[in-house]
Amino acid sequence: MKQQEVRLSRLALVVWVGAVAAFAGALADTAHADVKDRLVIDLAGEPSSLDPHMQWNPDSYYVYRNIFDNLYTRDDNGEIRGVLVEDHAYLDETRILLTIREGVRFHDGTPLTAEDAAYSIRRIFDPALGSPQTGQFNKIVDARAVDRNHVELTTDGPYPALFDQLVKLSVVPMHYVEAVGGDAFNRQPMGSGPYRFMRWRRGVDVTLTRNSDYWGDIGGFETVVFRAVPDMSTRVANLRSGASDLVVGLNADIVRQLHGRSGLKILTVNTTRVAYLRLNTLRPPLDDSRIRRAIAHAVDKEAIVAGLLDSYAEPSDVMVTPEQFGWARDVPAPAYDPGQARALVKAAGGAAKRPLVFATAPVFDARIVQALQQMLSDAGLDVRIETTDMANYLARVRDRGAQAPHLNFGRWSCACRDADNVLYPLLHSSSEWSAVLDGDLDAALETARGTLDADRRLRLYSEIHRRVAAESLLVPLYQTSVIYGARADLEWRPTPDESMFLNRMGWAP
Amino acid sequence: MPGFFIKRLLHSLIALFGTVTLVFFVQRLAGDPTLLLAPEGATAEDIERLRSALGLDRSVLVQYLDYLSSLARFDFGRSLAQQVPVSEILLPPQPYTLALAGGALLVALCLGLPVGGVIALRAGSATAKLLTGLVLAGQSMPTFWSGILLILLFAVTLGWLPSSGAETATSIILPALSLGFLSMATFARVTRNAVLNELGKAYVRTARSKGLSEWLIFRRHLLRNSAIPIVTIAAIELANLLAGAVIVETVFAWPGLGQLTVQAINARDFPVVQAVVLLGGAVAIALNLIADLLYSSIDPRIRIQRAAP
Amino acid sequence: MTEAGNRAHSGWRAIARRARAFARGAGAVDRSLWPFLFIISLFALMALLSPWIAPADPLRQNLLGRLAPPLSEIRGVFHLLGTDELGRDIASRIVYGARVSLAVAFLSVLLSGAAGATLGMLAAYRRGLIETLVMRLVDVFLSIPAILLAIITVAVLGPGLWNVVLVLALTRWPRYARVAYGQTLSIAGRPFLQYADYVGASTRRQILVHILPNIVGALIVVATLEFGLMVLFEAGLSFLGLGVQPPTPSWGGMLSVGKDYVASAWWLAAAPGLCLFLLVLAVNVVGDRLSDQFELRVR
Repeated sequence: MKQQEVRLSRLALVVWVGAVAAFAGALADTAHADVKDRLVIDLAGEPSSLDPHMQWNPDSYYVYRNIFDNLYTRDDNGEIRGVLVEDHAYLDETRILLTIREGVRFHDGTPLTAEDAAYSIRRIFDPALGSPQTGQFNKIVDARAVDRNHVELTTDGPYPALFDQLVKLSVVPMHYVEAVGGDAFNRQPMGSGPYRFMRWRRGVDVTLTRNSDYWGDIGGFETVVFRAVPDMSTRVANLRSGASDLVVGLNADIVRQLHGRSGLKILTVNTTRVAYLRLNTLRPPLDDSRIRRAIAHAVDKEAIVAGLLDSYAEPSDVMVTPEQFGWARDVPAPAYDPGQARALVKAAGGAAKRPLVFATAPVFDARIVQALQQMLSDAGLDVRIETTDMANYLARVRDRGAQAPHLNFGRWSCACRDADNVLYPLLHSSSEWSAVLDGDLDAALETARGTLDADRRLRLYSEIHRRVAAESLLVPLYQTSVIYGARADLEWRPTPDESMFLNRMGWAP
Repeated sequence: MPGFFIKRLLHSLIALFGTVTLVFFVQRLAGDPTLLLAPEGATAEDIERLRSALGLDRSVLVQYLDYLSSLARFDFGRSLAQQVPVSEILLPPQPYTLALAGGALLVALCLGLPVGGVIALRAGSATAKLLTGLVLAGQSMPTFWSGILLILLFAVTLGWLPSSGAETATSIILPALSLGFLSMATFARVTRNAVLNELGKAYVRTARSKGLSEWLIFRRHLLRNSAIPIVTIAAIELANLLAGAVIVETVFAWPGLGQLTVQAINARDFPVVQAVVLLGGAVAIALNLIADLLYSSIDPRIRIQRAAP
Repeated sequence: MTEAGNRAHSGWRAIARRARAFARGAGAVDRSLWPFLFIISLFALMALLSPWIAPADPLRQNLLGRLAPPLSEIRGVFHLLGTDELGRDIASRIVYGARVSLAVAFLSVLLSGAAGATLGMLAAYRRGLIETLVMRLVDVFLSIPAILLAIITVAVLGPGLWNVVLVLALTRWPRYARVAYGQTLSIAGRPFLQYADYVGASTRRQILVHILPNIVGALIVVATLEFGLMVLFEAGLSFLGLGVQPPTPSWGGMLSVGKDYVASAWWLAAAPGLCLFLLVLAVNVVGDRLSDQFELRVR
């Protein structure tokens, strides 16, 4: 009896060890021979969807952008360039005719036509799809194929930012999507891009293979693997140990590990995002412009950029970057002046003594937030940091009631090149992201949105920047940069849009 | 006997139902996924449209009834963030979670049992003190910390093992070690106490007087007689490990349920969270029942004692 | 004074007797416990006296003197343990961090212990519906992921030290409830309880005077083990960005920030890591000894 038990428990142990080993063994056959034809990229998370009309958070975008072709793209210098569109012509102020490139084929060999392009635009508005992107394209009211290679677009008014939006529109194969349905399309996406979808192991990685029949520049790697590695330190460790070739989402402090390491390099570029301190002008005591001005004077942008960010950023006085339309130089923003800040706080009296709630989320660099808090405390304000997860943070920021935070840190990400997409939602009184009620500002924003005349728009945006600075409605801090770590022999020029075109990458000869 | 188990099962199912209901309502107190899905700057109308497309504009009670009726058909719903059936998201991490839990338990047992035995048998010696220190060191290290140290040592500096992910057979070693160190202390402690308890008993003195080696006595007699507390702890630990090791999985990019849970909660992907909680609860119930069955088969006396619910 | 009352007093008296014996044992016999008690008192003193002990202001930043190694001097200020990612004095943050880490652990153990023990004893003593309700509630709370509770608590109540305590208490009370329940059941049939029942002692009196003294040993053992865990859990919450709010220093928070600097500035994590280790070590050793002393073991 006892002997039997012993044997049984030994058997159990053997089975168990065997099971763990077998699992490990099962992983082994996916192991790869280290060939240069395979590029491994570590992202912070896995794509939430590979259907390009659903999500476009960076982790999804990095991947699917290579499976599909868009109507337009930006080249490495940031200029808008037709991809699937060869030419366009305005029929009148609200109608535009796009000529679709001929000879482009989807991965199954079917030719891409104007029908597919028009379908892709219409698909985004389809309420049945429920796409979060709908709002981005809601100025377009109709898209129809005129013939095999012409699409006519109608907007609900003059729309200067149209091409900037069309850069984000991927063309999907109508016949395939209609035949298999949205779920299967997301599982097995097919487009006309330089890379074909191979497989998606949920939670693990997505693998793409080169499309050798691509009509444009052919990719430099046979296969590309996108892995989800949430921890930044682990991504750097992966790069250092040779497990990955390119890692995203690093900060200035962690890349110190890469300084002076042979075989590795740091790639960086200034993005189109401006980090800012939003002041809730609707809530006392920040309805008092003296206190807002005190805050603007108290913030030392240079110290943050040079001291904390190792100059991987550019101090900014406006909410728009030089890479975007609507940027203006020489806007007279309040300069760093701690003495002036203290004097203004003192002058404001009792109101300035009230505790100010400073909302932030774990995704934002806690060092910056703490440095800002210190600077405001030095000016005599009582600032309390409140970190909540992103879902709550966004809800709190959108709140306009008495519970709304006084201050919040943000990094506006419109993935766009036009000031309208930044300034309108942040400042127009109708937007829930804005904490500003200013009739003149509203009028200027509306005019700039509906004008095709570029010079006039530039003048309007310059006015808006000046007003924001004079009234301290927001405190722009710096133009953020994106930092990648890579193998030294990877040739790639990162873009301000944080896109990752695999066919613009290659190994150094 | 069967009556007792049926009653227990019934109670557990009621508890599971309670959990699922509580989670359903409570998680809706803390925001919804629309703001995370919509691009920054989305207008109020865009957000409302999205909310209604996701079915979140209906009253919570209607949503709850809808959830229950789907659940009755074993339909766990669709992920709000990824727009695929929940089962498609929930299935892939399970083998990884099982493997990591199994591996960690293996590490914990293989280290914890002998270490606990040595600490008890050589009480007061320098070896015992050193081992006690080691066990406690393992227990007092947060896993995100031990994890990154292991990665830097074995993957970056020595280059012996993969730094993260689940691509090669050796990938499981570091996360299993990091996680196993935590449970090892528990096993060592329980083993030590159980062995100390047995040491005074007559059969050990007899065995010693027969001249059997300490190790043999430990293996043959002490370990077996300490089996009950060890099995109990193993069941509890396994339930904990299967619930997903959030931090270890995050640090090692291990594609298990823990990461999925955190991502789903952060994304307010309600149906996925519901399904994860349901799965976790069901596993806990099953393990509890198995542990109970094990006790009564190891030691019939237990049956009477544990007849209470 | 009734017979039951006398019995009760003898219950608490026995506790006092055992405690005295323990203190004597610690003082005279078991010198090996001294270093651990010393560590605990040292940390407790650090926590109580931080404003007087800390060499500098733990919140004072110096962006030009970031990540300075231990024993460096910056602008005439000596930094024994170096400076952190914002140029703050690490030694001072350790001293103040003791305050937060010990307070969070102590308060959450107290809160979860009190709630769990009360419910556990009540369930075992009253049986019936209360028993079913409490024990099923235990199951419910054990199967909700702690992180979910954490995020929701922060969402509804906002972040902060007290809410961290609340999160930890919400997730940990079931352990005490189970122990209290099991221990109470095991003494349920004892004559003194039956006698007290017979003379009609109230539930509150029964629990406080008759049951608690008999199970308090087991609860203390659980509490000491949990204490170490709570310090680590706070670190875990900090790792997920839901811990005590910055810039308030806590050992867990310092360690989780330091993790990203292991390869470039090891001293950020070394000091809080060592303190956490020593604290958990000391509390566990003392807890083990207590459990031996009370001759109680926890399943």
